[in-house]
Amino acid sequence: MALLEVTGLKTYFKTQEGTLKAVDGIDFNLEKGQAMGLAGESGCGKTTAALSIMKLLPANGYIAGGKINFMGQDMSQVTGDKLRAIRWRDISIIFQGAMNALNPVKRVGDQITEPILLHEKVDEEVALKRVKELFELVGINPNRIREYPHEFSGGMRQRVMIAMALACRPKLVICDEPTTALDVMIQAQILQLLKNLQQELELAMIIISHDLSVLAETCELLSIMYAGKIVERSTAVEVFANPQHPYTKGLIAAFPNIKGARKMPQSIAGNPPNLIHAPKGCRFAERCYAAQDICKTEEPPLVEVLPGHYAACHFVKEQR
Amino acid sequence: MAKDIVQVNDLQVWFPVRRGFVESLTSKEQRYVKAVDGVSFNIKEREIFCLVGESGCGKTTTGKAILRLVEPTGGVVKYAGVGLTPALIKEAATEAVSRKHLGREEAEKDVAMGAVDVRNLAKDKMKLLRQKMQIIFQDPYESLNPKQSIYDIVAEPLVVNNLGANEAEREKRVHKALDDAGLRPPKDFMWRYPHEVSGGQRQRVGIAGALVLQPAFLVADEPVSMLDVSIRSEILKLMLDLREKKGLTYLFITHDLSVAYVFSDRIGIMYLGKIVELGPTEEVIKGPMHPYTKALISVVPKPDPRMKTEKIILKGERPDPAHIPPGCRFHPRCPYAMERCKTEEPQPMFVSQEHWVSCWLVSGEGKA
Repeated sequence: MALLEVTGLKTYFKTQEGTLKAVDGIDFNLEKGQAMGLAGESGCGKTTAALSIMKLLPANGYIAGGKINFMGQDMSQVTGDKLRAIRWRDISIIFQGAMNALNPVKRVGDQITEPILLHEKVDEEVALKRVKELFELVGINPNRIREYPHEFSGGMRQRVMIAMALACRPKLVICDEPTTALDVMIQAQILQLLKNLQQELELAMIIISHDLSVLAETCELLSIMYAGKIVERSTAVEVFANPQHPYTKGLIAAFPNIKGARKMPQSIAGNPPNLIHAPKGCRFAERCYAAQDICKTEEPPLVEVLPGHYAACHFVKEQR
Repeated sequence: MAKDIVQVNDLQVWFPVRRGFVESLTSKEQRYVKAVDGVSFNIKEREIFCLVGESGCGKTTTGKAILRLVEPTGGVVKYAGVGLTPALIKEAATEAVSRKHLGREEAEKDVAMGAVDVRNLAKDKMKLLRQKMQIIFQDPYESLNPKQSIYDIVAEPLVVNNLGANEAEREKRVHKALDDAGLRPPKDFMWRYPHEVSGGQRQRVGIAGALVLQPAFLVADEPVSMLDVSIRSEILKLMLDLREKKGLTYLFITHDLSVAYVFSDRIGIMYLGKIVELGPTEEVIKGPMHPYTKALISVVPKPDPRMKTEKIILKGERPDPAHIPPGCRFHPRCPYAMERCKTEEPQPMFVSQEHWVSCWLVSGEGKA
């Protein structure tokens, strides 16, 4: 059985103008030790999907349908103490802009021991010892546990956040744009660290990013989201080698490649649709170069085009 | 050959570090944050020159110092584009000589060439010149006033500079600028507010705000780094278009080598306040000579999991510009550092006609 099975997940927000369907029926599975990338433009619902798994939605957000099966429990039904027991012990998250997510007036060591003391019956000494081990694991000098966040640089703070996410030895770590605010060199350091940790600790990971090239370097699986839906899903190699959905093709073509020919990347004209009044039919139709009449009226289902390769487009043909 | 629109020679921007009370008693010497510490390059007419480096390397400060949005503390910045009058050139030259920024001979040469040293212009003259030298800022989400309509944002430079005889003419110029920036039809955008348009359109508003003064030279400070990848190239294409149509010259500042690779004509790699390698873009990216350039290129994520390349991941983070290491400033992080690098600073060495590099591996003994 998969570690995480998401089926038909719908997450909506109540707003003044109406119901915003941020995530509108997505499915994916994740096995132990697998890393999956979730890619898409801003506002496509990738962060909302991840927050739904941990049930960290803001007050006006709610899970409107579907199942999130995590280690045999449906997360969409779990509440209260039971939920608190799972959060951070089994699933943890590295937030976007994590460098600013640390409490500036608490020593970093104390911030990391907090979840350990909450979840496990250990005393502070044991917890601090664990923190030192964690620091070593993520490449920070263990003597720095008594320092404050401002004494760390951006990249080091990101390492602290990673150590904190690993504090209770979770099975699944969600990384929301883990390197977006970092310099290329620091980004390379952090990506390498995440990859090593994932292999060493057999972590399952969901990495959320708008940057396909970051995901190409770290993830085994890749899901492309557009306007609240997954439009293509397969292994990362397969998605890049053989993209099926016009949006995926566009996204890949939008990246300048420093190893490739020196040419201007393509852009995808237009903007994503408003998710309060989502269009009928295919949501990408308005921006799609291959759109036909059927795209404006009928929504294409996510079908298996090749073994293990899914795409949602009227014009992809089954190739097996 | 195209003439140089901008010439930067040994530019320095040092910020003094405030001393504490005790420190001032012990009369330790004044320390500086050397944000820009001897940068030289030139930008030809209609060229896109790109400065690349990690955050804190001084690339933005360099851009601002050229427009005197921060005051340079040393060096020369010459501008030789449109918008200069003989009187202005003369005045700046006289001032430069009296302030000993330039020798008399060089100042006379500048007058003959029609170049002006922007450091020696009075504030009001600089303001006048800045109509021709504009800047586009990085973050279109924060650089636009949310309480101003797009019309007011784009018209503000006209108001500040007292341009446009009446409201009708201003509206005409704003209309034109929005149209040039690709916000078409301008009437649909003029009366909207920044929150009512998308990120890419916001950046177009920023560009329109610069275009409304009809500049010749634009500093573009990370104009696409806050935008979604899918719309980045639209903005880049707009900038290329404007170069075609209006003959603009750009200083493009970015940390993203892959954008610099596809967009710029020449590229300068900055490290800790200095350019370490400079040359035609293709030559630098395909044949980097400096170890820092090599490392930077190797860590750019490739948008293809089938491409596995060797990464040179440098240890540590960017050092502090208040404590610049002696010798080659890159030596503490350099995988090839030799004894000599710790004490002697390497000087630029040309490896081809337009491509130079500051590294002992290239100019001294040893092989790169």
